[in-house]
Amino acid sequence: MWGWRSSRTVVVGLATTLFVVICVFPIASFLMTSLQGVTAAFALDARQWGLLVNTAVLGIGTAVLATAIGAPLGLLLARAPLPQKTLLRVALAAPLLLPPYVVALAWTYLGSNRGLLATAVGYDVLAAWTYSLPAAVLVLGLVLYPLSMLATEVALRRIDGRLEEAALMVAAPRGVFWRLTVPLVAPGIMAAALVIFVLAVSEFGVPGVLRVRVYTTEVFTAFAALYDPGRAALLALPLLALCVAIAAVAVALLGDRFVSVRRGADTPAALRFERSHALLAAITVLVTALALPIAVLAREALTSRSIAAVIVGSGEAIANSVRLATLGASAVVGIAMWLGYARARTTRRVGRLVDIGLVVLFAVPGTLVGVGLIAVWNRPGPLGALYGTDSMLVLAYLARLLPAAVLALAASGRTVPVSHEEVAAVSGAGWLRTMWRIVIPQMRLGLVAAWLIAFVLAFGELGVSVLVAPPGETTLPIRIYTIIANAPSSSVAVLALLQAGVILGPLAVLGAILAHREVS
Amino acid sequence: MVHRDRIALCAALAVFTGGALAACRGADPGPQALRTVTIYVSTDRVFSEPVLRAYEQQSGVTVNAVYDTEETKSTGLANRLLAEQARPQADVFWSNEPVRTLVLKSRKALASYRSPNAKGIPAALVDADGYWTGFSARIRVIAYNTTLVTLADAPKSVFDLADPRWRGQVAIADPRFGSTSFHVAALYAAAGDERMDAFFRQLKANDVKIVDGNSVVRDLVARGEVKIGLTDTDDVNVAIEDRQPIAMVLPDAAGLGVPVMPNMVSLIANAPHMEEGQRLIDYLLSGDVEQQLAHSEAVQIPLHTGVPGPRNIPAIDTFRPMTLDFTKAAQRVEDVTGRLASILGL
Repeated sequence: MWGWRSSRTVVVGLATTLFVVICVFPIASFLMTSLQGVTAAFALDARQWGLLVNTAVLGIGTAVLATAIGAPLGLLLARAPLPQKTLLRVALAAPLLLPPYVVALAWTYLGSNRGLLATAVGYDVLAAWTYSLPAAVLVLGLVLYPLSMLATEVALRRIDGRLEEAALMVAAPRGVFWRLTVPLVAPGIMAAALVIFVLAVSEFGVPGVLRVRVYTTEVFTAFAALYDPGRAALLALPLLALCVAIAAVAVALLGDRFVSVRRGADTPAALRFERSHALLAAITVLVTALALPIAVLAREALTSRSIAAVIVGSGEAIANSVRLATLGASAVVGIAMWLGYARARTTRRVGRLVDIGLVVLFAVPGTLVGVGLIAVWNRPGPLGALYGTDSMLVLAYLARLLPAAVLALAASGRTVPVSHEEVAAVSGAGWLRTMWRIVIPQMRLGLVAAWLIAFVLAFGELGVSVLVAPPGETTLPIRIYTIIANAPSSSVAVLALLQAGVILGPLAVLGAILAHREVS
Repeated sequence: MVHRDRIALCAALAVFTGGALAACRGADPGPQALRTVTIYVSTDRVFSEPVLRAYEQQSGVTVNAVYDTEETKSTGLANRLLAEQARPQADVFWSNEPVRTLVLKSRKALASYRSPNAKGIPAALVDADGYWTGFSARIRVIAYNTTLVTLADAPKSVFDLADPRWRGQVAIADPRFGSTSFHVAALYAAAGDERMDAFFRQLKANDVKIVDGNSVVRDLVARGEVKIGLTDTDDVNVAIEDRQPIAMVLPDAAGLGVPVMPNMVSLIANAPHMEEGQRLIDYLLSGDVEQQLAHSEAVQIPLHTGVPGPRNIPAIDTFRPMTLDFTKAAQRVEDVTGRLASILGL
């Protein structure tokens, strides 16, 4: 089926070409141009090694914490008889909508020596902890755990209940859970953890607020302070090497596992969770990760003397953001679906290399991607026709998010047994028909989750957008970002709540509608 | 059948991607936008946007603006201008501090233009070659929390910040970025490397809080997390207008001189709308715009003589500004950035 003229070759080839042109070419072009004149030897000094260690701790710590919170919640959403589950899922995913930088600000409003906590109890309770690396890990972990939660739930829902039923005949529920269920969902959880790791090491807003020195700022300094792309490219290499190392360890630990699909049989009762425990866990996370930051921000926002003035004028930016994030997420999933499938069907060795390559592409700092996009698209001719239009923002979302989406959808694609395709082929179905009727329907949960995550990340994207947004137009994050520089903290809180509310509102309505349907 | 499916799917994928891009709005000039000008602005949007909207209304020209900030989270419009140098999209660059403009000049990204409205601006604030013109200045100030520090006790010089009495009570923005980077480079150029290295070592030993922007410095001082901080006039004024317990001191009036930073406006080399760009520069350099910026929350000091300044901020001829060569100060930025990363452990 991989012949030159086969449907599969043509479609996957076309998607790969788009991937290379949109994601790989701008980065390669930037690196080649920037590193051309660099001849000096490059070695990190002691200070930079220290920063790299901080970055590694931040990335690994965040991935571990987010997984420790998100994976059990995904398990509960998939396996516990929770009330209003759809609504609860939306609420538990909501922290992802809060800009991490603003959650860090909320943390300082709460924990600083003049913060709410110190005022309430009369002394600086958190003292050295407010501005610290553990605080940065905590903030990022609380913002990013929904990625792990959604990935875990999707992976669990793909497990064939009959497998677990069979296992329960020879093993206790605890043994089945750890030796069958966990290994089956591990690829999805690990893919999410890798994405979380990369998002955490790319972040410098949260470390900046919490005064944590990280290596990412070194790369950024070469750009923003020294205007030296060659140095920025060189400095990015250790960061990318760190990501390669982590991805290689993750891939080696995981291997390629066969994951069966679920067909009809429900999860055995012995592997379900008690409702009260599950509800308690969900409420605890909701209060800590969502209610507390929002309450702190709302308290700060209420001190704003002109909430209306802050919000007025954001209408066009909101409409732009919703429209472009919708287009961007659809384009990301539309292309990543084929590439994820192709990755799922490659050999083990090639697959590992592809995974590492995807992590590295996703880890390239946004600024480098932005400058690369300008170099590729800002030129005379047909390519240049797109430059200066808001198509560049969709291209920016694709360049940033496609690698992560392919990684996630590859995990989803691996849950579809090859035997299903073989049976379809023996029955005379062409590849496209097999995809349409058999493979894609089985990947639909993963596709929906990937679209939602791509939408949320595209909606909040700033690093590349700010470099390629056409003159005269703006997205909500760019507008907020360019306003908050001089606004009082109360106005910053208003704008942060606005950004979260713009997505949270429609998602809550959607959740309520789905919940209503579930009940009826 | 299979062949038809394949063609249909390829077409669908191509149409899908093309459609996603086509659904985006293009740069359609439209009948009302026959005259357009594109400006990249690093002066804070809350201050610059009303000025540009006023120009649109007054001239009928559509102004397409790209905004940015000087906060550390920004990669800066200068990088975008450099990346676009082969095919410029912008006509005008309005910077809120000198370093970016001077970097662009050194990389030949700017064109020379001598605006007739530059007449009356002090010669030291106008480039001799015409690549930039200064207007509406800000001052680097020492902000203090009025509930914790009295005016009499507040530091009067930047060098006082290293005094052990302020241990753990001083905040500054990351000196590698924004107006702070220009300020420290100017201090190194004016006071010499030895004195400044020693000062920053003392500051480090004094447990200075290094935060990611001047607005954060202001917020920490206003909330009382620290007692004093080094920031800009506009940042402090926003908090004063917000009735927060904060005030400012103009530092080094009796020593090196008060650090003054003008906005700078420049024409972009090979700008697509050269004439419209020149007209916009003329407008920005007018007394009207300086007055508008002086009376906004930006409280920027007019450089034209005779233009009324902001209340609460002294006029530029009432104090002694720091004497410095902007080009020399800007040339020190890279070296100073490296020194401070090491001294302050950034």
